Amino acid sequence: MRGFKAFVKKELIEFTRNYKWIILLSTFLFIGMSSPLLAKLLPNIFSILEMGGLTITLPEPTGMDAYSQFFKNMSQMGIIVLLLVYSGILSNELTKGTLTILLSKGLSRNAVILAKYTVALFHWSLFFLIGTIINHVYTIYLFEKTSFDHLFFSLFSLWLFGAFVLALILFSGTVTTGNYGGLLLTVVLLVIGLIANSFSALQKYNPVSLATDNLEILTGEVLVSERIGTVGLTVLLTTTILVFALYFFKEKKV
Amino acid sequence: MEELIEYLPLIIPILMIELILAAVALIHLVRHDQYRFGNRLMWILIILLVQIIGPILYFSIGKGDD
Amino acid sequence: MEVLKVDNVSMKFEELTVLNHVSFSVPKHSAFGLIGKNGAGKTTTMKLIVGLLKPTGGKMTVCGEQVIYGNTKTNRLIGYLPDVPEFYGYLTPKEYLKLCGEITGLPSSQIKKKTEELLNLVGLEGVNRKIGSFSRGMKQRLGIAQALINEPKLLICDEPTSALDPMGRKEILDILRDVTKKTTVIFSSHILSDVEKVCDTIGILNQGQLLLQGNLSEMKENYSKMGVRMDFFNAKDAEEAEKVLVDLPFVFKLERLEMTLSVQLTSHPSNTNELLKIVSMKGWNLKKYELIEPSLEDVFLEVVKG
Repeated sequence: MRGFKAFVKKELIEFTRNYKWIILLSTFLFIGMSSPLLAKLLPNIFSILEMGGLTITLPEPTGMDAYSQFFKNMSQMGIIVLLLVYSGILSNELTKGTLTILLSKGLSRNAVILAKYTVALFHWSLFFLIGTIINHVYTIYLFEKTSFDHLFFSLFSLWLFGAFVLALILFSGTVTTGNYGGLLLTVVLLVIGLIANSFSALQKYNPVSLATDNLEILTGEVLVSERIGTVGLTVLLTTTILVFALYFFKEKKV
Repeated sequence: MEELIEYLPLIIPILMIELILAAVALIHLVRHDQYRFGNRLMWILIILLVQIIGPILYFSIGKGDD
Repeated sequence: MEVLKVDNVSMKFEELTVLNHVSFSVPKHSAFGLIGKNGAGKTTTMKLIVGLLKPTGGKMTVCGEQVIYGNTKTNRLIGYLPDVPEFYGYLTPKEYLKLCGEITGLPSSQIKKKTEELLNLVGLEGVNRKIGSFSRGMKQRLGIAQALINEPKLLICDEPTSALDPMGRKEILDILRDVTKKTTVIFSSHILSDVEKVCDTIGILNQGQLLLQGNLSEMKENYSKMGVRMDFFNAKDAEEAEKVLVDLPFVFKLERLEMTLSVQLTSHPSNTNELLKIVSMKGWNLKKYELIEPSLEDVFLEVVKG
């Protein structure tokens, strides 16, 4: 336990001194600010561009369009940035050998994985919250219709997907070697998930759907009851992946 | 056009984020000359030309170890 | 009382046998030098003792407690300096030692005290820069400081001097000599003169086998040959001397290079006197007659060759 605590502190310091906080803060501020604004201004931008005499008339944008932009940005840019920032979370230490001394001091391998996941999850939650709040405040300010059904569930699904991705990154780090092996494996697994998600019969069992159907949950095209199972499954899967990460890390050569 | 100007107070903070991020990355780049791959010119171009993602790429997979 | 006992330990990486039934023990308050060429298995031996690798056979005990792979309790008794110690570049030395202290479970008052004491010992007091800007020598010194933070009974240093310049090497050796007064030390190296400066006991590791272990001075006596170097005034005399000496029973090896004759004698202290007698009897004119002390290098070369 004391190893876990000490390592959590180290992870927190690392986060502030390795530019990670700048990356995550600017990404989620950017997404939160630009999504509603882009939704609002899109018709104007099109009218300015006037595509070679072709006038495109868009319907008056609503708060739903703001959230549409937000979910699109979060699930693409947000998750990609998360992958980039955290892909080296384990491989950096393993390729450099920075864990050797700490492990010889009695730090348990489980504490390393769990502390890393805890801190990453904390930061993801924090910056997810920042982005979400700013987006919501901007949406309320810019649009008239501002109440949405199942908004919390939809946002929670997206957050949970991020938590799942973080576990996946850690797991990949324990079964691969080199600087980019972990990133590569995570991307491959996510792409498989994305492809599987095009089969609607499989969506229920696919964590990826938690990051693709957020707008549909707001509009009611996808029912919350259809996705409750997916949420439960993803929680279970995330836990399982972490347990496997602990197991493989035990056998890992440092 | 007027609408764009009307929303200028909301647009400016977004531009600020992009600028600050690019500036921080450029400052780091000038002070360090080790990259995991690529060279200085390549990273300058990436930071300046690819908004937001450029500096992020530099920090996450471009810069060498401190 | 033995601080470390390595009992019949073997290690295989797939098909490659890195350690082959290695046994040795390190008594309290000794400085044990583990010497061997690169790839002899020194680093592997040390990693096994710290529980960073799982042996394929045998067992090890530290102060009587068995070492278990993974998360071994015996590590609280050990300080370990890896061959290339890697730190977090964004931390200062103080922050790093605090992290290490917290992991070993020292109370914070103790951490503060120990940190100052150790930074003084290794000459890093008042250095508040981040570790990222440290030279190799500084990192090596910080490495010793972190290894000593839990007041270990056994300090394990893996090639602590190999990557350093002469200045840095001297600094590290001075520190280590200082440490040996209070703590049992294991020190591996392929630089034999460094081992000689710090250690009183050595073990010679070659291709995964411990060929020899024991007291350094005894070993020198038993294993290496006293040598004599004679410089003649001309090559003719040297040639003649060579012919005479080569048949003598106590001459182990003879080598001539122009006017210089190097003689290795079989181990017996009186042999040098015998040689001297012959020299004076024959009335050879010598420019120089020099006794060559056996060195660890001789021991090593002979043991490894045999």
